[in-house]
Amino acid sequence: MSALATEALTLSLGGRRVLEEVTLTLAPGRVTALLGPNGAGKSSLLACLAALRRPDSGAATLDGKDVTALPVRERARRIGFLPQQADVHWDVDVRALVALGRLPWRGHGAAGVADRAAVERALEATAMTALAGRPVEQLSGGERARALLARVLAGEPEWLLADEPLASLDPAHQLDVGARLRAVAAAGAGVVLVVHDLNLAARLADSVLLLRAGRVVAAGDTSAVLTPETIAATYGVTVEVGVTAGGERYIVPVGRV
Amino acid sequence: MSRATLWLLLALLLAAAGSLAAGKVWVPLDAWTSADPRSIIIVELRLPRTILALIVGAALGVAGAAMQGYLRNPLADPGLFGVSSGAALGAVCALFFGYAAQAWLLPLFALAGAAATMALLALIAGRSASLLVFTLAGMVLTSLTGSLTALAISLAPTPFVASEIVTWLMGALTDRSWDDVWLALPLVALGVAVLARTAPALDALTLGETAARSLGVEPRRLQRAIVLGVALTVGATVATAGVIGFVGLMVPHLVRPLARHRPGATLWPSALAGALLVTVADTLVRLVPSASELRLGIAMSLLGAPFFLYLLLRLRRRLA
Amino acid sequence: MGARAPLLLLAAPALVSAATPRAPRIVSINPCLDAVLVRVADPAQIASISAYSQDARSSSIPLALARRYPANAGTAEEVVALRPDLVVAGGHVAPATVAALARLRVPLARFAVPTTVEESVAQVRDLAARVGHPARGAALAARIEAAARPSRVTPLPALIFGAGGLVPGAGTLPDDLLTRAGFRNASATYGLARWDVLPLEHLVAAPPRVLFSVAAAEGAGGGGGERAEHHPALRRLAPRLITLPFPARLMNCGGPTIVEAMAVLRGARTRLGERR
Repeated sequence: MSALATEALTLSLGGRRVLEEVTLTLAPGRVTALLGPNGAGKSSLLACLAALRRPDSGAATLDGKDVTALPVRERARRIGFLPQQADVHWDVDVRALVALGRLPWRGHGAAGVADRAAVERALEATAMTALAGRPVEQLSGGERARALLARVLAGEPEWLLADEPLASLDPAHQLDVGARLRAVAAAGAGVVLVVHDLNLAARLADSVLLLRAGRVVAAGDTSAVLTPETIAATYGVTVEVGVTAGGERYIVPVGRV
Repeated sequence: MSRATLWLLLALLLAAAGSLAAGKVWVPLDAWTSADPRSIIIVELRLPRTILALIVGAALGVAGAAMQGYLRNPLADPGLFGVSSGAALGAVCALFFGYAAQAWLLPLFALAGAAATMALLALIAGRSASLLVFTLAGMVLTSLTGSLTALAISLAPTPFVASEIVTWLMGALTDRSWDDVWLALPLVALGVAVLARTAPALDALTLGETAARSLGVEPRRLQRAIVLGVALTVGATVATAGVIGFVGLMVPHLVRPLARHRPGATLWPSALAGALLVTVADTLVRLVPSASELRLGIAMSLLGAPFFLYLLLRLRRRLA
Repeated sequence: MGARAPLLLLAAPALVSAATPRAPRIVSINPCLDAVLVRVADPAQIASISAYSQDARSSSIPLALARRYPANAGTAEEVVALRPDLVVAGGHVAPATVAALARLRVPLARFAVPTTVEESVAQVRDLAARVGHPARGAALAARIEAAARPSRVTPLPALIFGAGGLVPGAGTLPDDLLTRAGFRNASATYGLARWDVLPLEHLVAAPPRVLFSVAAAEGAGGGGGERAEHHPALRRLAPRLITLPFPARLMNCGGPTIVEAMAVLRGARTRLGERR
């Protein structure tokens, strides 16, 4: 069981304090949502966890070791990162795109049997096997999002960090991708998502970390954190919280505080 | 090895054989044996020239493919970092001051120019890994070295020296020797090896820099490898053959479909296709009836314009 | 020579042609030297001349004469195929070609661009000696010296205005020709170096008496010389400044072209002498 955590993480960007003494521990096998208003520091925190940003002081740690001090390849294998920008600069086909996720395992060598198998598993998990030969430019938005998710899955990391993976997806695709993410967590990996949408967080996340102005203001199980009081304090809006007939939580903003 | 690569290799062998046989002096096959004095032409002139054409073409092809993969831009050219222009300035200085009398001084000056440009690039761009900063630094250097070259031409003591400089700048493989081959081969081999090692990183960059970094790509290390590889390949090319443009720009476009658009997979095919292109072009310039041999750099420029017109028309059709 | 010796022995019969050791086989890769060569060497000796000599715009010999010889583009490859005893070239040859000829042990004689008539005459004698006909060289040298004998008239200020405004200054062959023909090269008054571009402004401010403008060859477009000829500023100076044509190919070659160049210049000086 690996533990991803931060200790007194402090980060400034462009002279502005973005994260202030953030200390937290993330649990594997669960989906954790990083929530908070704009500018709260969610994406920066995710980047620090993935060793894509160096904090000014404090550290993000994996099993107690500073992630920025880990050998680059080990870190790449253990932590998978899905950025918000869905850039694909060259018109490769889906299988080649997904195979890029195996680079931390392959290095300079050719793809081996294990690599190919992992790619196929990832394609299947995201229902992209039928589209594997298609050039990326010919995919729809939802298909592209699934292909990029498959890329991260192909690396079979212990920790999957994703920045707004469901933004600009149709409801159907949001359901699909969301289900995949929950399945990944169920299989033992730790999933950390930055999300904006409270309902998505309510439905997908087991745990929630609520950030405001660079500090963690609430942490814990989703139902415990996403209460009308906490939401009002963090976002400045009054909400109605409920449960659908099927047991899905929903949160509806009704007005400003 | 894929079928396309095999076809390229076959075409390359034919081109090389053609290059050995063809020229203003056609040497028939039976004259190639050492009993015929014309074999001197083959062994001492055509053979090193053909091999140098292969080396130069491969060097420029790989450099172009690596630059396009690194900058994520299909219009990138190996000259963008200013190394080509700096190497040319070095050689021009040798011609300007008359040092070119010694056959090995000109390539030495060119290599010194390439090295100095690389050092200046590192100095100006600093420790920034930003592509924009680097590209701008390259533009500064190209501008500066280009101006100094033009200055040398204008200050030339006689119009003959000016003409000599301008002629050299147009690039050629005429009368190159085994000395040029021995100079270019190790440098180009090293440069190509350095660039070949960047293939996985270039592939990862397909996803953008953030995702590539998360996959283990180290941007500064990659940048150093690209700059070093391009400096070695382009520097060696300019030192032995002058400025030959368009190869690094055109060849990756031609092989990209073969490589299924994966940037890392364009490197070796670009080497083969570049070697093929330069060898064929060099053979053709020997056959053109003109008072002096048509300059190879000119031939490449003439090929470049219609090539880009074709790209433009194809793009227009796609966007329409 | 070691590895090549058996080669040459085998090829020996092919090498012995009409040329004998006293009259070697020559390849020229310079059109100016071609002009001397056709006058001092036997036709059988000349294996090849520069392709430039077969182009009206750059040739210093009559085209009909030039076409009698095979032409070369100045590459070592072509030279070696002809197996000459001597290659003659000008002052500016591609470094790779010089290196290639040296490596292949082909004797190369280089003649720098002449800067005075004496230098050119010395080159004529030298080349004639090398081709084994010193007497013809002496005869040609005498003709050139006679044509270039200094005039004993008051020098008039003159300027040669080349393509793009390029002016030959002190220390060039055209400068020497001007002086001998009875002119004074005005380039010094503008502080020009050996070869420099003169902006029209300076020319108009202090015009010489005569402007020799490099006329374009028939059919080809004009350079700065023609622009100068027709520039309104110069036309307005017309009565004071006389513009005369001067063919470009007479500027730099030296050798037999000096005779023709001096004829043009002296003819102009004579007419001007009468006018004054």
